[in-house]
Amino acid sequence: MLLGYIFEVVKNRQVAEQYLVTVFNDAANELDEFYKPGVNAFCRLQLMARKKLAPFFENTDGYSTTGEVPDNTSLGKNKFIKQMTNEQQLVFCGAHWQGKTTSKIAAELGRPDDDIRRILKECFTIIRSSK
Amino acid sequence: MKIEDYIESGILETFVMGAASDDEVKQLLYMKASYPQVDEALQQLEKDMERIAMNMAIAPPPNTWNKIEQEINDIILRDKTEPQKFSPKREHEEFNGNKAYNNQHQYIEVEAESSHMKIHKNWKWVFAAIFVLGKIFLGCAIYFYLENRQAQQQLQELKTELKQVKK
Repeated sequence: MLLGYIFEVVKNRQVAEQYLVTVFNDAANELDEFYKPGVNAFCRLQLMARKKLAPFFENTDGYSTTGEVPDNTSLGKNKFIKQMTNEQQLVFCGAHWQGKTTSKIAAELGRPDDDIRRILKECFTIIRSSK
Repeated sequence: MKIEDYIESGILETFVMGAASDDEVKQLLYMKASYPQVDEALQQLEKDMERIAMNMAIAPPPNTWNKIEQEINDIILRDKTEPQKFSPKREHEEFNGNKAYNNQHQYIEVEAESSHMKIHKNWKWVFAAIFVLGKIFLGCAIYFYLENRQAQQQLQELKTELKQVKK
């Protein structure tokens, strides 16, 4: 699962695998964090990967130019993403795969932060309600 | 703000995606510890994140886990040798000129000199180019040698013919 996330960010299988190994090595140094009550191991790993991928996030120009996720990409084929509106895709993919903060997305779209959070919430409602 | 409003504000979603600011994270961790509803909502969102990830999962190559395991084992082995605290040597342990040292300190650790040399991977292309160029030069040398020999033979034949004509 984590490899799929990393691959979607770096767009290179070999680089993604290297990042995967690095993230797990870092996880070995932070094993205590994983044993804390209520910690979701996958989400913890994903957040670690996100930190590692910061250089990729800085260099990406995202989907801001087109305003939508292209259909021919793996993101465009994702069944959850497909059900989202263009705006929801822009916000969700921007935050999840491009490492943008809500403030950055809000500034790009010229919308208040609260709107972006609301849109993110809508995205999760879609994911949860989707079978 | 009511706890329901806080949950509905979308801040939890922002946190789960790692897009929250430091202040928001601090506030949320406090709320999570204080209100079980927040904790429950977060757990649900984390499951949602797993669903997205499962939908885009890629199977890693079979040797990936071996690599990770190897690295982790190395880390564990490294951790076992903790640095020792410096303590000044006691008088009887100090090395004293030519006198025989005690049995524990009879040997001096010397790093063995390796007979191998490490070079950058890019050099393999240089060596490959040298090898190919060497082959080309060898081919050219053989070709020109044969050409030259043939020319010499022809010259010799011509000289012989000229001599015969003069006669």
